[in-house]
Amino acid sequence: MDTSGDLSSQMDPDAYRRLFPLRYFEQHLSESIRPDGRPLDRARETIVALGAVASANGSALSKIGSTNLNLFLVQTMLAAIKLEVMTPSIESPDEGCIDAATLTLLFSAIDFHMPPSCSPLDIYCLDADGALFDAALLSAVGALSHLQIPVVSVNDDGRIILLSEEDEVKLKKEPLNKEKRKLSLNKIPFSLTCILHKNYILADPTAEEESIMETSVTVVLDSSSRIVSFYKPGGAVLASTSTVQDCVALTRQRANELQAILDGAISDMEVD
Amino acid sequence: MGSSGKPPSTYTPAPTRGSRPKKPVFTDSDVDWERPDGRGFHECRPALFKTGLVKAAAGSAYAELGNTKVIVSVFGPRESKKAMLYSDVGRLNCNVSYTTFATPIRGQGASDHKEFSSMLHKALEGAVMLETFPKSTVDVFALVMESGGSDLPAVISCASVALADAGIMMYDLVAGVSVSCLGTNLVIDPVSEEESFQDGSLMVTLMPSRYEVTQLTVTGEWSASKVNEGMQLCLDACSKLGEVLRSCLKVPASD
Repeated sequence: MDTSGDLSSQMDPDAYRRLFPLRYFEQHLSESIRPDGRPLDRARETIVALGAVASANGSALSKIGSTNLNLFLVQTMLAAIKLEVMTPSIESPDEGCIDAATLTLLFSAIDFHMPPSCSPLDIYCLDADGALFDAALLSAVGALSHLQIPVVSVNDDGRIILLSEEDEVKLKKEPLNKEKRKLSLNKIPFSLTCILHKNYILADPTAEEESIMETSVTVVLDSSSRIVSFYKPGGAVLASTSTVQDCVALTRQRANELQAILDGAISDMEVD
Repeated sequence: MGSSGKPPSTYTPAPTRGSRPKKPVFTDSDVDWERPDGRGFHECRPALFKTGLVKAAAGSAYAELGNTKVIVSVFGPRESKKAMLYSDVGRLNCNVSYTTFATPIRGQGASDHKEFSSMLHKALEGAVMLETFPKSTVDVFALVMESGGSDLPAVISCASVALADAGIMMYDLVAGVSVSCLGTNLVIDPVSEEESFQDGSLMVTLMPSRYEVTQLTVTGEWSASKVNEGMQLCLDACSKLGEVLRSCLKVPASD
């Protein structure tokens, strides 16, 4: 006889949730709903705010799980880019680089052709509540789309300097990059993390869900739905082919959602 | 993508000489220069405070004063480490860090600012009722997301609100304000540009309802009369800021 099953009707729900977290979750899952009211395959509401930090060349704040625009709730990631000048490598003199240790792999999806300049991309997690990678990638992509390349010129010492409009007139310097002020992002990567538990697939888990059910799969797709990365770091649950396909299908759906959110953020910014 | 393992050596492009301020920020006797953001000398930037933004923390606050953006999270009280000696008062652990993109040149602000961390601790310890959590530690983590001048007073005010949000017992909130001395003029709540030209700086942190000062720092060149004038300016501004801090705690943070 399942004693904790009996207890669930007698105990305070909060106490039951703490004492028997797995049972608590499984009872919900059997009814195809999660404790926060989401269906299993639904990701949390997501907001991207571009240009959160004025001192950076490009920045974005991603919030996953926020229900109110005025509040940062749940998951908040801040990514920002500051451009620096670098000495180009001999093999690829017309290519720049993005300096982001953990995300480097993913940016192979982005065509990065810019005169030698290095963009250190720094991501800060302001608040964590599960699926950190998804939020980090989203904020990074947001910061890259927001990136505004300053007008520069070369001074007499051969160093690159920033050029303001009045300087242009006064010093009669020609800017090196009058045209190219934005990055061209060809294929933007979007990701979705899913938790696997028994036969259930839970999209976009919270920290609580991640701590109770430990097998996760992260799929990264680019804008044309090709797989950039597939990451399943072990775990008790083994993924069958159909599970993998389901995860990819969920990610495709999520990628479309995120693309729309990002496009919305970009057009909002252009209006301002 | 860099094909070699070593990160390339880089530098941040500097603005040209021409874009520096056209005239010196002050000449000996004048009052005819303008502040970069067009404020009056004795006028503070509008302050925005919000609580409860970081769900993972026991308490948190976000402060925005012009371009200065600060977020403070409070964790605890938790049990002090075993290695600590027994103490019948609680410990306050403060840490101030800057994001790498907070300053005009990348990575200029320290990721662990020792001086500000210790100043923050000194400013708060007089206001927190440490005896209410013996053998325990409260952690205060401040992150300067963007540095726009008067960072430390912003961090201190924000941290006191975050502590209150975490339900830590305090005698009063702590409001911090600084003034810069530029030649013969005193400007309150200076921005980064003014701070870089200042001859001296004075910061007061005040518990507004008790009208007690928890910290007073003076650096640089000051005449005795100027110090008095600066202090009075700060005290008045702290009292006003105290009302802003208090009112932000009354707004229900999140539901």
